[in-house]
Amino acid sequence: MGTYIIKRIMSIIPIFLLAAFLTTGMIHLSPVDPAEAYLTAAHIEQTDEILAQKRHEFGLDQPFFMQYINSIIKICQLDFGISYVSNKPVWDEVIHRIPATLQLALGSLFLAVLVSVPLGFFAGVKKNSAIDHFSRLLSFFGASIPSFWLGYILIFFFSVKLDLFPVEGIGTWQHLVLPSVTLALPLIAMYTRLLRTSILENLQEPYVLFARTRGIKEKTIMAKHILRLAISPMITGLGMNLGKLLTGTIIVETVFSWPGFGRYFIEAIFNRDIPIIQCYVLIAASLFILSNLLVDLIQMYIDPRISRKEGQQR
Amino acid sequence: MFYTISRRNILLTSIFIFLFSTILLGCTNASDEASTSKDDNENMLTIAWPRDVGAMNPHIYNPSQLFAQSMVYEPLVSYGIGGKLKPNLAESWEISTDGKVYTFHLRQNVKFSDGTSFNADIVKKNFDTVLNHMELHSWLGFLSKIASTEVIDEFTFKMTLTEAYYPTIQELAVVRPVRILGEAGFPADGDTSKGVEKAVGTGPWILDEYKQDEYAIFTRNENYWGELPNVEKIKVKVIPDAETRVLAFEKGELDLIYGEGVISLDAFKQLESTGKYETTISDPVATRQLVLNTTRETLSDERVRQALHYGFNKEAMVKGITSGLEESADFILPTNLPYTSDIDVESIDYDVKKAEALLDEAGWILPKGKTVREKDGKLLEIEMMYDSAESIQKAMAETLQSEWGAIGVKLNIVGVELAVQVQRFKDNDFEINFFSNYGAPYDPHTFINIVAKEGFGFNEAISAYPNKAEILKQIALIPQTTDEAERQQLYTSVLTSLQDQGAILPISYIKKTAIYQKDVTNFNFSANRDENPFTGISIK
Repeated sequence: MGTYIIKRIMSIIPIFLLAAFLTTGMIHLSPVDPAEAYLTAAHIEQTDEILAQKRHEFGLDQPFFMQYINSIIKICQLDFGISYVSNKPVWDEVIHRIPATLQLALGSLFLAVLVSVPLGFFAGVKKNSAIDHFSRLLSFFGASIPSFWLGYILIFFFSVKLDLFPVEGIGTWQHLVLPSVTLALPLIAMYTRLLRTSILENLQEPYVLFARTRGIKEKTIMAKHILRLAISPMITGLGMNLGKLLTGTIIVETVFSWPGFGRYFIEAIFNRDIPIIQCYVLIAASLFILSNLLVDLIQMYIDPRISRKEGQQR
Repeated sequence: MFYTISRRNILLTSIFIFLFSTILLGCTNASDEASTSKDDNENMLTIAWPRDVGAMNPHIYNPSQLFAQSMVYEPLVSYGIGGKLKPNLAESWEISTDGKVYTFHLRQNVKFSDGTSFNADIVKKNFDTVLNHMELHSWLGFLSKIASTEVIDEFTFKMTLTEAYYPTIQELAVVRPVRILGEAGFPADGDTSKGVEKAVGTGPWILDEYKQDEYAIFTRNENYWGELPNVEKIKVKVIPDAETRVLAFEKGELDLIYGEGVISLDAFKQLESTGKYETTISDPVATRQLVLNTTRETLSDERVRQALHYGFNKEAMVKGITSGLEESADFILPTNLPYTSDIDVESIDYDVKKAEALLDEAGWILPKGKTVREKDGKLLEIEMMYDSAESIQKAMAETLQSEWGAIGVKLNIVGVELAVQVQRFKDNDFEINFFSNYGAPYDPHTFINIVAKEGFGFNEAISAYPNKAEILKQIALIPQTTDEAERQQLYTSVLTSLQDQGAILPISYIKKTAIYQKDVTNFNFSANRDENPFTGISIK
């Protein structure tokens, strides 16, 4: 088990290096020169000398490989450079915006789990019942409504018309409700269907029949056997979506004026604030990698057969 | 078995408790945000702005917002309606006959918001600090011409230029970087380019409360020397999304939304049509122009350029696309700017027949059975570049594509990002581009300056003008003129010539819009495009 964990952690390194490679390469793929972007944002008149000086300062006159090595070293020191717009270190700008984004992402995750587990479970157990039809309807909506539109609709009904929640901003739990629902609905749609299918599959397994013949109570079979095994694909889904949640906040934060990292990222794109963009991409990539690792570890903990299987394959 | 189950339960419960408590913890720092502005303070005006007000540094640009800087910091001279330059922190001024020496008599009994006195020393300190970072401010013409700054006595400040530069007084009205910061605002090393200690100004507002990316509350400066604002507080909520601004306004969380493009034209019209709100549209703040690149073979012929001008219904296009919020423009600069009201250009009305005749005359013939004109086997094909994020530019490009298609001109429209649009304009890598001038207090001198400037885009674009050299010579003379009549004559000549030869085609006058609740009264736009409009506003 220990070897498995170490192996999984080691496998992160090449993926991370690739992510860093892509963010460094991104500068060269963009039609806009970072030195020019900096001078424009800083309101400095561009002359050939100043451009050359800035290119040198940003290390853009070095060979690509050297730029890559330098950026890896800097990233390891959490040095993402200086924001072109605010002239402050990128890390300082980012770090105080992350808590708001995490609050929103965790709020949505919490909501998604809270709704989709019972809904998916009962939809699976009581197939073709009213609750199953409802879950199907909810999933269709959740999967097909674009989040910005859903955000506006929620604001219009629950804030403007019914005056239950504030339109925008952060601070109280009321502020968290509408953005969390907006962000959580696609997840609820997915997890509910995932859990339902998994429950239905598990219901067909011989161990259920065996348990029933042993006279175990139906409730116990459902809660302790079926749900426990059926929830596994959902946890995988959760892990895969942690990174998505972060990127999903971009739109939701903008619509609800939520002062997080996603909204800041959008501003950075408009301002061509390249160091911020790079930092965001790298953090998003790291979150994807880490959440996948976390899910693997949780899966392994819940179902130790996984690590055994892995061990056998290697 | 029981052991593992209980451990698992503990783990899951812990995760849930952690998640829930983290979320709630984030909420415990609850402010009184949920309640609307009016409940907190009857005499507070709440507005929305797309961006955070920024660092409130009067000597630096992004990310500080101009309107907020103008609330706290004041200039020596301010820009009034029709370009009238009015005393502000300077009560009066004298300009030497050679146009080089400016002596300002400063207003006495003016205090900064921290109680310290305003005087010539602090004015000099501000100017010198700004001049130490000329790499940031070279765009502002008069700054690069300052030879020396001098304190004559407590309330007299003298500025000597290396050469005469008439727009100096007008440029002093800009919001940044020449507004005056109080002593307490300067950092220990005196270098404000890295930031200020405190937002200390002489203006009618004081920054009272600030939460980055969320809101800023400005309180009325009770010791303000000038006309005291009617409202006590102004709360600026940061709402980046235009639709959310509209929804917050509809709910009553906002009293006012104003600016350029701050809400969509559709939303503005829809809100206006309900009759529940008041609206105001400003005088023209800039002209939306088309720049035709005369270095391109097709556009080098003046007849083709004029044909394009005759070949579309400007009035209908502008009205249709902007729902009447912009006005069809006859001049390349709005005529409410100084020196621009006396331009005598040939008026061009929509005339398809004339357009076709001009194209025929230029040798672009429409072959039978074809839809695109040709000359020596070459199609009359032109590319127009527009900012893909700007819905008005896009709609106008599409309209022109259809209108010009009817006279046998194939217009290819290309949407690009703003940064690319600017870059391609600079690189002379375009055929037709959209542009709009800066407005007051920068124009008309900044506009003609960029027309003359190499590498900006205009200078190269007008290369086929036979009198280009003469135009550039006149532009160079304008800032140095000390004779008002001569200056007017030069402006008239330059602007008329630029427009008459058709490389700069006026489309519409851009205007600001404001929508506000019925209890908000006395809203007036400022003549300075960047200045806030809050002083006169009242809430019933």
